[in-house]
Amino acid sequence: MADAEVSLSPALRPLQLSPSHSSPPPPPASSSPTTFSCPSSPSSASSSSSSSSSSSCSESSSDCPNHHHHHHHHHHHQPRPQLQLPPPSPGEQPSSPSASPRSSSPSGSIGSTGSLGSSSCASEGFGSSGVSSSGGGGEPRGQSPPLDVISEDAMEMDLTVDQVIDPEVALKACQEVLLQVQLQSRDGPEQQLQQQQQRQQQQQQVQQQQQQQQQVQQQQQQQHLQQQPQQQPQQQQQLTEQTQSEQTQSEQTQRCSPQWIVSPDTSSIKEEDEEEEEGPEQTPPQAARLPSSSSRGSSSSKQSWLLRLFESKLFDVSMAISYLYKSKEPGVQAYIGNRLFSFSDGDVDVYLPQLLNMYVHMDTEVGDAIRPYLIHRCRCSITFSLLTAWLLGAYSSDMHISTQRHSRGTRLRRLILSDELKPSDTHVSDSPAPSPSDRRRHRRHNSSSVEDASVPGEAEVVASPSRRTHQRSKSDATTMSSVSGAGLRRSGSNPKIHEEPERLRPQREFVKSLLCIGKRLATLPTKEQKTQRLISELSLLNHKLPSRVWLPTAERQHHVCRIPHTQAVVLNSKDKAPYIIYVEVLECESFETSPIPLRIPETRIRSARSAENLDCGGGGSTNGMTSEHRAGSFSTVPNYDNDDEAWATDDIGQLQVEAEAQTSSSDNISQFSVDSITSLESKEPVFIAAGDIRRRLSENLAHTPTAFRRDPEDPSAVALKEPWEEKVRRIREASPYGHMTSWRLLSVIVKCGDDLRQELLAYQVLRQLQLIWQQERVPLWIKPYKILVMSSDSGMIEPVLNAVSLHQVRKQSQMSLLDYFLQEHGSFTTEEFLTAQRKFVQSCAGYSLICYLLQVKDRHNGNILLDSEGHIIHIDFGFILSSSPRNLGFETSAFKLTSEFVDVMGGLDGDMFIYYKMLMLQGLIAARKHMEKVLQIVEIMQQGSHLPCFHGSSTIRGLKERFHMSLTEEQLQLLVEQLVDGSMRSITTKLYDSFQYVTNGIM
Amino acid sequence: MSQVEKKAGLLRRTSSSKKPLKEKVVLMYDEIFAKEDPAKNNPRFWDELFLMKVNLEYLESKLESVDGEEVQRIQDNINSLFHHCVQALAEEHQIKVVNALQTLCALFRGVHQKNKSASGFDIINMLMGFDKAEQRMKVCVEERKECREPQEPLSQTAAYVKMCSQVTDNISQNTILEYVMINSIFEAILQILSDVASRGQHGYDAVVLLALLVNYRKYESVNPYIVKLSIVDDEPTLDGMGMVVHQALTEYNRQYKDKEEENQGGFFSTLTSMVGSMFIADADEKLSVQTNEAILLALYEAVHLNRNFITVLAQSHPEIDIPITPTTPTPMTPTAPLGTTPPSLDMMNNPELPLDPNLQTSNLLITFLKYASIVMQDTKDEHRLNSARLCLIILTCIAEDQYADAFLHDDNMNFRVNLHRMPMRHRKKTVDKNIPSRPLVCAVLDLMVEFIVTHMMKDFPMDLYLRCVQIIHKLLCYQKKCRIRLHYTWRELWSALINLLKFLLSNETTLLAKHNIFHLALLVVNLFNMFITYGDTFLPTSNSYDELYYEIVRMHQVFDNLYCMVLRVSTNTGQWKEAASKVTHALINVRAIVNHFNPKIESYAAVNHISQLSEEQVLEVVRSNYDTLTLKLQDGLDQFERYSEQPKEAAFFKELVRSISLNVRKNVSLNTMSQDVLLKEFSTIS
Repeated sequence: MADAEVSLSPALRPLQLSPSHSSPPPPPASSSPTTFSCPSSPSSASSSSSSSSSSSCSESSSDCPNHHHHHHHHHHHQPRPQLQLPPPSPGEQPSSPSASPRSSSPSGSIGSTGSLGSSSCASEGFGSSGVSSSGGGGEPRGQSPPLDVISEDAMEMDLTVDQVIDPEVALKACQEVLLQVQLQSRDGPEQQLQQQQQRQQQQQQVQQQQQQQQQVQQQQQQQHLQQQPQQQPQQQQQLTEQTQSEQTQSEQTQRCSPQWIVSPDTSSIKEEDEEEEEGPEQTPPQAARLPSSSSRGSSSSKQSWLLRLFESKLFDVSMAISYLYKSKEPGVQAYIGNRLFSFSDGDVDVYLPQLLNMYVHMDTEVGDAIRPYLIHRCRCSITFSLLTAWLLGAYSSDMHISTQRHSRGTRLRRLILSDELKPSDTHVSDSPAPSPSDRRRHRRHNSSSVEDASVPGEAEVVASPSRRTHQRSKSDATTMSSVSGAGLRRSGSNPKIHEEPERLRPQREFVKSLLCIGKRLATLPTKEQKTQRLISELSLLNHKLPSRVWLPTAERQHHVCRIPHTQAVVLNSKDKAPYIIYVEVLECESFETSPIPLRIPETRIRSARSAENLDCGGGGSTNGMTSEHRAGSFSTVPNYDNDDEAWATDDIGQLQVEAEAQTSSSDNISQFSVDSITSLESKEPVFIAAGDIRRRLSENLAHTPTAFRRDPEDPSAVALKEPWEEKVRRIREASPYGHMTSWRLLSVIVKCGDDLRQELLAYQVLRQLQLIWQQERVPLWIKPYKILVMSSDSGMIEPVLNAVSLHQVRKQSQMSLLDYFLQEHGSFTTEEFLTAQRKFVQSCAGYSLICYLLQVKDRHNGNILLDSEGHIIHIDFGFILSSSPRNLGFETSAFKLTSEFVDVMGGLDGDMFIYYKMLMLQGLIAARKHMEKVLQIVEIMQQGSHLPCFHGSSTIRGLKERFHMSLTEEQLQLLVEQLVDGSMRSITTKLYDSFQYVTNGIM
Repeated sequence: MSQVEKKAGLLRRTSSSKKPLKEKVVLMYDEIFAKEDPAKNNPRFWDELFLMKVNLEYLESKLESVDGEEVQRIQDNINSLFHHCVQALAEEHQIKVVNALQTLCALFRGVHQKNKSASGFDIINMLMGFDKAEQRMKVCVEERKECREPQEPLSQTAAYVKMCSQVTDNISQNTILEYVMINSIFEAILQILSDVASRGQHGYDAVVLLALLVNYRKYESVNPYIVKLSIVDDEPTLDGMGMVVHQALTEYNRQYKDKEEENQGGFFSTLTSMVGSMFIADADEKLSVQTNEAILLALYEAVHLNRNFITVLAQSHPEIDIPITPTTPTPMTPTAPLGTTPPSLDMMNNPELPLDPNLQTSNLLITFLKYASIVMQDTKDEHRLNSARLCLIILTCIAEDQYADAFLHDDNMNFRVNLHRMPMRHRKKTVDKNIPSRPLVCAVLDLMVEFIVTHMMKDFPMDLYLRCVQIIHKLLCYQKKCRIRLHYTWRELWSALINLLKFLLSNETTLLAKHNIFHLALLVVNLFNMFITYGDTFLPTSNSYDELYYEIVRMHQVFDNLYCMVLRVSTNTGQWKEAASKVTHALINVRAIVNHFNPKIESYAAVNHISQLSEEQVLEVVRSNYDTLTLKLQDGLDQFERYSEQPKEAAFFKELVRSISLNVRKNVSLNTMSQDVLLKEFSTIS
């Protein structure tokens, strides 16, 4: 089934060079690990099938380019026969056996794989990229092309050895990788381009054939899936442990072939990327090639294990990062560096901090391995460029000032900010149509050997959907341009390109202005002054919008069009001035290329807004009057509006005339009131009871959602309490852009003077744990909020919507948390209350675990939010892991669990409290299974970091210990009991709260 | 009066300029004023003339001294001078242009001064001759337009605007303005306002001129400036206009504050002990700073005519405490941080606001409210009365505007507005610093309450009171419509209104002689009716509704007396019969409340043997007896008559504009037109 899914994905979403697990289907992802890591598991059958299929595919693709192995492999596979049946371009295969093997053979092979069935394509485990790579002997960019070649070995090894994991094999696989890379780097880039195209096109055809088979396979695999959903995490751990041991071994073996370190692949890539600085070097070092080829000869059968892992669907970004970090072997690093290209952007972005931290702080090999990818992404995306630049700056800041200036990170940052990494391809600006012709051009430029192959390919280019060619051409072009300087230059001189020198500037300036505002605000003494100043500063900023700027925390592409400045508010902070702004954006296709929305002057609001909106439901309300009277009293409203419209008309001469006409009527007293009085005399008078009015008043007041009182010392309380929907509606109504369908409201907290790197780390850990819990179906609830690090002392935070701090709740409502819950959600027995209570418990359990695992400190009530649904959300991860606030050793408990919390849960004996403990246990067990994923995030970030959370030497060890790998579940349960018990009885928690109250006035 | 002064001034100047040696330019002027064509002997006469430094005083005095018949004789020459001035404006030579401009100004001034009484047509004839008038004027104005085309010599335009502003008095009969009307200089004015540098220097004049131009024969014909002003939607321009007004008003407020502080020293403290309101007035006289109706008129026209201007009112920026002295035009550094920005950000010279912790954030509306609070303190003097009236009219326009209402009531825009309060014997001067930060509408209401409380005097400003009550009514209507529950101490308003009724009652006879007090009484009673019948839609707490009843019951005497009075008047035949009967109808609910609760309260007191009920006890009675009270729903309470300038205000504005233009002429000094300044301006431009 996994195969089926994967092979489908390229057809559906041809643009995505993503591994299969990035795209939706979770089942394959979960099933595949088991298949690999645990041969004896029930799913072994499926694993074998997948592996076998992959082998066949890669084999067929690889045999031509490298025409070495595949001789001795056992092609006793079921698909095999099919392979021979329909070779799409059979004639070419023999015609160009060595010179242009890739061009012809991949097509053939893929055709055959297609007929083989989904299995072949899927084996690669990552959509189109896999396919493209399969022929990609010539793909230097390393879209994992070499792997297939090797994987062939790996897979078949697997089959033969009956899935015995052999470290040696892994090592060998790595070597193979390198070899492949070297081989490829000798090939012209254009060639590879074509091959990719062809491959993909053929792939399309093939897919149709495949689908039938897939369906069958899906069914099979689903069965496996159901059988073993839970084992895999543990297995995975085993796996990683094993691979670690392999690595040590591989290191040993590596000594035999030290030449590898000078991997031609990496070197060539480096050249490509730095060609702007150093000039292109097209010929890869020949010397490097020889040793590798010699090494290739050795024990090829044994090394494929690691590669098999790399090849597998199971291999995701998380693992890639992990290997990148742990592996000392340049080959592996280089491979992973290349392999990064095949992951979806979004998946890699999750680990961007880790990547960059490694880039900044680890040795050259790792840096070189990552660099091409970073450069590539920077070229493609302004967003990525800026994120990278910010993070690089932040992570470099821990270095000594002297080394920092010349460090890799700083240099890359400078390069990015110099804006030299423009999109290097014409194709982005060109319409998709010209891309075929482009290719033709490149082909001509290329050696004649490809010529014949290009013919069928070209025909299919036309047939293929334009979108695909467009997108692909983009990536191709980057490859191309970076490989061959000539290509780059050509495209560079293309007059069609509109060079935008200010690619990064608007956004940088936008962010800078926001941060500057924060800095200036910090100097003002009172919150009120801060808020007022903030509003006026923002109103100035508004003059410059809309612009090509965006909020980096947002999910979708957009342009910022307006900042409703009066809504901005300063948050509570003792000496800094963080503030929250609401930002109106207009969503768009791509913020880089879509046109910037036109500015609509603020003064247009009124034309955009109808008077009806202003009525705020006054018409429909239950006022004591009879409906006809309502109507009567409102019938005059149109009059009002008409008059308003008269103002809108451009001709004021007309207005004058109208005014004269109006006033020609003799009576100066309000016409309306005269009418009403006379009409009253004639009409039956209407009576209302004073009691009704009074009752309605108190009812209305009771029904309005409990708003907070305005407090000059805490201006944010009111703003944050207002329900988000309400706020959006209100702001939309008042906005000149509000009528647009793409209008959205976002919000962001701007922090100045705070180091958000720890927050970012915490976000990553929380996100990871959240995923783990989701995956394990443990209903723990946490809310990781996005963090944007802009430097080591500034950044942005995605606000938690509809949430106020416990401190604000207490101060405003002056009641206990339980009473507040009752007030907000209804009495004990109502469904609302019970729902809220459940959510409270789930979030409490989640954050209790987080606080314990991460040792989150400084847990006063200002740092704990309560949202409108009843969840609590911990914020401010300034003190985690090894750091804690320097005060008297408060907060010794594992986490914060006050009696108030327990009260909301229904007391110590309540079911909900038991549920709470149970959730914690489940959560801990689940987290334990995936400990490595969590550890890895933290561990990599520790590299070179001076963050207080890494203070001391035992940070990681401590973290690891808190997962209690050694305990049985019974023991874990006991542990949870102890933790809860200890936290509840902890005097220090109470002490810390009163300490905060005394020092900071936080209740 | 002003004319005499002017003459005196001119004479003095002439005498001082009588020097033994005559400048060449003076000789040339003399030649012009001779009968012969000066160019006859010297073909390059005109060229030379404009190369010479202008002697304005002499030229003007010369024009002054020419009497009627002579005028006829030298008319050709003067026409010729005018003609050549206009031509010279097109010259490339800067000095020539400047000189020509100045000469033109002098010419206008002089001729105009001369023909003060005569009709405008004579001037035209004198300057250019009827036949060519229109064409020449067109040339003149168009010249300016062309000048503006490429790199916009703004100060030339500005100078021209100034020139125009010199001939603006007696605005509706000024025929030169007719030409200005035809050849609009509107765009030129906008240009000045939208540019930071030129706004600093000429913004004030431009705004005043615009106000005057808009008022040119506005009731007699279609004024193109009205149309144009009403459709301006260019933000920088409107902001610029707002800034000019803001600066002018701020300057006024600052001067007032300075004077107040000066006076506070010895004399004020001793004063407060023995104050009578009369004496205070005197003290205030000393405090009074010349009000600036011109700028107020400009604000009015902007608010009244241009719906887009409303947003400018709320445009917040730090309070500017610097005098309006033209800020030296700092070279505009192109600091548009966002690359793609339209060059519209010029709210301030620099995008980064000056950083001063003590600087209060302010906006035009706040400044205006403060200004109004000062102006309204004393309405004895006619200027101030006019200013106060204009302030209230502007507030009326604002209160009617939905957008303005929206930001007045915006809960997120809180400000401390320090209104100036008249020191009175029964209250201490409030400590400024303790005013809470509230939505702006609170400040407006405060101002209204303040006015109501402080102007119950013999010389009753009925007109202002009506406006005041109407403004409150309009705000209430908005709140009711949008269900905005403003946290305002309504009690202050209620007691102020009841006191007003009380005052009307006790001064019935004197007031009735001059005013229709029933109209005002009706409006006030209807405000109460708003609260009584619609209180559920906009009162902030349920308690406040009880308090309303408490207040009415507590002051029931006033309502009783009012009812007696209006009943008496309405049963008699007389001119107030109808007006009074409206009030009796309006009083129904108030009387119902009084009649319902009074007995209840008395019986409660009797039952509990309490002679004097506390407020809490009364409230308790009120709360427990609502259900037996039936009110009559009055129709149309939430309707109001929209403000319209015509015809009710036409007379006021005519008079106002007349006095303003007199003032403007008086104040436009030629000094600002001196060659150095002009040349300096030119140099900064080109």
